[in-house]
Amino acid sequence: MTVTHLTINGETISQDINPRESLADFLRERRNLTGTHLGCEHGACGACTVSLDGMVVRSCVVLAVMCEGRKIETIEGTRKSEPMDVIRRHFHEKHALQCGFCTPGMLMMARDIIARYPEPSDSVIRSQLSGQICRCTGYAGIIAAIESAAREIRDAVE
Amino acid sequence: MNSHDGPGRWIGASLLRKEDRRHLLGASTFVADVRIPGMQDIAFARSQLAHARVVSIEKPQGFENKVYTLADLGEIRCLDAGPELATFRTVPYPPLAGDRVRFVGQTVAACIAPTRAEAEDIAQEVLLTGENLPVVIDAVEAIKPGGATLFDGWQDNAFIHATIADGDIASVANAPIQMRRQFKMNRQATAPLETRGVVAYWDERLDELVVYSSTQGPHLMRFGIAQTLGLPEHKVRVIAPDVGGGFGGKNRLMPEEIAVAAIAMKCGHPVRWIEDRREHLIASVHARDHYYDFTLYAENTGRVLGLKGELFVDAGAYSLWPSGPYMESSMAARNLPGPYRIEHLHVETHTVATNKTPLGPYRGVARPGACFAIERAMDELAHELGMDPVELRRINLVRATDMPYHTIGGLILDTGDYPGALEAVVDMVDLPAIRARQKQGESDGRRIGVGFAVYTEQSGHGTIEWTKRKSRVVPGYESATVRMLPDGTVHIMVGILNHGQGLETSLAQVAAHELGIDPSQISIRHGDTNATPFGFGTFASRSIVFSGGAVARASSILADKLRKIGAHLLQSPVESVTLRDGAVHAGAASIPISEIARAGNIRPEMLPTDVAPGLEITATYEPPDSGGVFSYGVHAAVVAADPDTGVVEILQYAVAEDCGTMINPMIVDGQIIGGIAQGIGTALYEESPYDPSGEPLATTFGDYMMPCAPEIPRIDIRHFVSPAHNTLHGVKGMGEGGAIAPPATIANALSDAFRDIGAKFAETPMTPRRVSEAVARARGDAV
Amino acid sequence: MKSAAFQYSRPETVAEAVALLTAAEGSAMPISGGQSLLILMALRMTMIDRLVDISRLPELRELRDDRSDVFIGASTTHAMIEDGKIPDPSTGLMSRVASRIAYRAIRNLGTIGGSMALADPSADWPACLIALDAEVSIAGPDGQRWEKAEDFVSGAYETILLPGEIVLGFRIARRQSMRWGTAKVSRKSGAFADSMAVFVEAAGDGLPRAALTGTTSHARILPRVGKYAQNRSILDPGDLRAAILDDLAEIVPDADAYQLRCHVATVSRAITDARAS
Ligand SMILES: Cc1cc2nc3c(=O)[nH]c(=O)nc-3n(C[C@H](O)[C@H](O)[C@H](O)COP(=O)(O)OP(=O)(O)OC[C@H]3O[C@@H](n4cnc5c(N)ncnc54)[C@H](O)[C@@H]3O)c2cc1C
Ligand code: FES
Ligand code: FES
Repeated sequence: MTVTHLTINGETISQDINPRESLADFLRERRNLTGTHLGCEHGACGACTVSLDGMVVRSCVVLAVMCEGRKIETIEGTRKSEPMDVIRRHFHEKHALQCGFCTPGMLMMARDIIARYPEPSDSVIRSQLSGQICRCTGYAGIIAAIESAAREIRDAVE
Repeated sequence: MNSHDGPGRWIGASLLRKEDRRHLLGASTFVADVRIPGMQDIAFARSQLAHARVVSIEKPQGFENKVYTLADLGEIRCLDAGPELATFRTVPYPPLAGDRVRFVGQTVAACIAPTRAEAEDIAQEVLLTGENLPVVIDAVEAIKPGGATLFDGWQDNAFIHATIADGDIASVANAPIQMRRQFKMNRQATAPLETRGVVAYWDERLDELVVYSSTQGPHLMRFGIAQTLGLPEHKVRVIAPDVGGGFGGKNRLMPEEIAVAAIAMKCGHPVRWIEDRREHLIASVHARDHYYDFTLYAENTGRVLGLKGELFVDAGAYSLWPSGPYMESSMAARNLPGPYRIEHLHVETHTVATNKTPLGPYRGVARPGACFAIERAMDELAHELGMDPVELRRINLVRATDMPYHTIGGLILDTGDYPGALEAVVDMVDLPAIRARQKQGESDGRRIGVGFAVYTEQSGHGTIEWTKRKSRVVPGYESATVRMLPDGTVHIMVGILNHGQGLETSLAQVAAHELGIDPSQISIRHGDTNATPFGFGTFASRSIVFSGGAVARASSILADKLRKIGAHLLQSPVESVTLRDGAVHAGAASIPISEIARAGNIRPEMLPTDVAPGLEITATYEPPDSGGVFSYGVHAAVVAADPDTGVVEILQYAVAEDCGTMINPMIVDGQIIGGIAQGIGTALYEESPYDPSGEPLATTFGDYMMPCAPEIPRIDIRHFVSPAHNTLHGVKGMGEGGAIAPPATIANALSDAFRDIGAKFAETPMTPRRVSEAVARARGDAV
Repeated sequence: MKSAAFQYSRPETVAEAVALLTAAEGSAMPISGGQSLLILMALRMTMIDRLVDISRLPELRELRDDRSDVFIGASTTHAMIEDGKIPDPSTGLMSRVASRIAYRAIRNLGTIGGSMALADPSADWPACLIALDAEVSIAGPDGQRWEKAEDFVSGAYETILLPGEIVLGFRIARRQSMRWGTAKVSRKSGAFADSMAVFVEAAGDGLPRAALTGTTSHARILPRVGKYAQNRSILDPGDLRAAILDDLAEIVPDADAYQLRCHVATVSRAITDARAS
């Protein structure tokens, strides 16, 4: 066990962590933040995407102990966040989810894409979503939602 | 709630989904999110041997009481699975290995620990010693006499040999054109993004076993689990919480569910097993795996007369409850003539046991293979005759004037305009423009091709069809309970399960239409056997027809009651009142439903004397003719293929489809596009191969290729609407159709791209290697 | 799919890290981005007693622009390179290569040093760094040494690293009017390459370098291709193909016909890509 200090969704905690615990397992099993989903546990599906010091990472391939001193934001932490609320609304309106299992990871990724590409084209969105698996939707709604959410967020800034 | 099409009329409105909110907030509850105090994790030790007689299973020292083998589970009744046919060989599939293991990944022992990691530590130390037996890997070889068998006493490895025939195939023996071809649709996983999972415990207060399971059909699973464990059914409660996709793969009673439930009754604390992706790819339901070898008989004009041949379905090592693998073979054979006016059919089917993971249903069940085979064969025939494949289809397709049309496969195509849909996609992809582009050639050396495929999708089939299939369980109806609460809002309990299909929204639309209230006033409840009326679950594109019908019927009975009470309260004759916009109206006067609901529930003294109190109706529904109604469509794809590397890019994808009346067009389009994405996976990426020793080769998403956004093109859809005569509102099921035609469509496009050299595309997935090799073979290069 | 148990240390210095690794006699491993190692551990294909977290060591995060060459610390992530947050000796090649590795969320943590040290036979960096003729800085119990990237990877998942050694970073020379091209074939976007080639040539100095990865062994230079392409502005497709096949016969003798077709395609296209720019 290693005492680790980290900030999760704005709350700073210190906790004994078993080194073998992935960040995803730590969040889900020890912090009960079950909005972060596990679809593969080997970095290949994106369901577990969270933000680590402001960048997207796959929490199944991060060790919780390696997050010492770092800031983690999960889908639960975005519940009252401006850009995410806009993105959520566009996901809803564009039918960007069916079973909803990929949705939290998709949203985290969508926000990151929009932050890096304020005006993302269809092909940019597609290539940035590479490796982010949705088994249900065929991606059409997700792509449309990211495109239109980006537009709304951009318009709000201008 | 917003609607694209305006409120008021709910049937046909693209209402945004009620179920989105919890998912968007990350607040849904999937089985892995269920928290029961004291719960411990289970990891399974699995066989690494493909076929062996079990000599011993050793538990690691010090963990004897944490490891369960079959003997520790107590009495288990292995249910007979598969059709009730004397010719079908049933075999027991024990939840943990008995005296034999028959595929790599078969469950051997269950290990319990406070965390999954520790459970895996134990599982890793469980030692299975076995005496290796010959491995059966090839379904065609496996039924040759004298070979090794999986089961003692079997003469060959077939679960069943059965012939599907009609017409008189001998009468076309002298047809001028006879073309023999072989096609293979390889094995794949179902791969919902949420894997399977089970949480089980004994609830002392209710004195019952509670099983949370990521399943498509909780009521059937309750029946299966109770039977297997020898429990009375009222002592078993199955809850499907949020389910992260199913696609057929979560609709079988699997060994893990039984083992976990059995252990929960023995170990004294809640237990959970969450399938990991490797377990999923190795040991969850596998799908497809068809091999076709048949001859088409035709006239010189291109009219196809008959089809004769064989179908091998590699069913894996066991038959899964309830339906078993024969459904795959019989459906494939019956769908092999496609939507064509073929009059003679003779298909010998062989459903074969091999040392692989048991086969189960996957979106499209059987038909993607059949569609691949017939649609590819139609293109090949067109090539042989020097005809355009579209023209050949025009000549053979069932016409609108032929409806209802009895196919030689025994299916009754009810309504639609198949040739019209074909012309629509030809128009959508602009065929002449593609032909012109092909003449010019591509500057990057790639080849462009266009392909078409037609499919039908049987849905809404009930008692007649399932008894014809000799099914052990006959999903002939669905039920719904509609309960209006004292304030006029509504709970509807249904026996189907929503796992992405938007049924919490579309069923609310159906009820809103009958009850004259807004769908936001209605909550759909499903997934808990203690809270919902019996139902079979969501599969076979049946939920909108059956459950929609049951909801509509129960709602309409309730609506009658509301009108009656409303008329009484308005002191008007019941014939003169209408129910709409949240009120009962009599001329200019009206009374809100909330008033009626209050009277009906808590103010019985206000009711007319001939109306019983209570506003709860349960009704069941089955369409009047339960042979099924048929959605259909035509797909078209334009692809670019690199002849050297074999990499394929889809440039354009178009669909013209008809699923009758659409309750919610937005959801319909979502189902079509999602289905096509899965079909593209089957066509180009997904495969679960085995090596000759029975070792599965695709065990992670590093080897098992799941299509992502760059792999799925934009999909253009045009709708035809030919309402079914037989169902409420004329709806037809359509959940699977998207997945049926893409392999055929894309293979036809590839074969078009290389038509000049005659490269053959006869096997899925058409990976870069297979495409490159097909081209090399046609060019006479080294393969 | 959970890792077996292990101990975890986060040393403050390279010396400490090397000491911990050396003391463990092979039962410890360094972890950098963890984007490969944690998966191998979750699959229990790699089982070790101790993980030594080198991801925060300042020496490994160093980025130095020394005019004639550039030093890139081993812990530099794919994403930093993709985003141009490093001094770039490659006029954009490294950014292009980085952008095609895996997926963004993986690139945010995965490092160039981890990728080289793992020496996955399909990984992208080995081919790129070999083509750029990079040198690898290695620290170990016996001090620090430099090796050529080309010599550093020695087989599938094999490098010349000795027990206790870690990669500090890479030195890459700046070249005059450099041209480069790259091409990759994989089963789908972001998947490991079935074949990936990088071609680099510069004015005046030495042979053009064509490097290939996605073979059954490790990334390698194709010397005959370099020689053929040198000082030849128009390449004869037949002769180029012959040169490539000659090299392939030597470096991937076990390649089947399909693999050969892919390799010929990526190498030729990398050259075309370079010459088109
Ligand atoms: C889904 C997925 C797809 C991927 N696709 C690709 C791809 O297409 N192309 C590609 O190239 N890569 C791909 N990768 C791998 C990715 O690039 C990894 O980031 C990289 O291979 C390893 O870097 P790391 O920093 O994460 O190393 P780690 O996982 O931390 O370590 C990898 C190995 O290197 C050792 N090591 C790490 N740092 C050092 C050091 N400084 N000195 C000595 N030894 C060290 C470790 O002990 C370990 O053995 C993929 C990964 C994933 C999860
Ligand atoms: S669960 Fe982490 S990437 Fe799939
Ligand atoms: S909505 Fe089901 S996986 Fe994306």
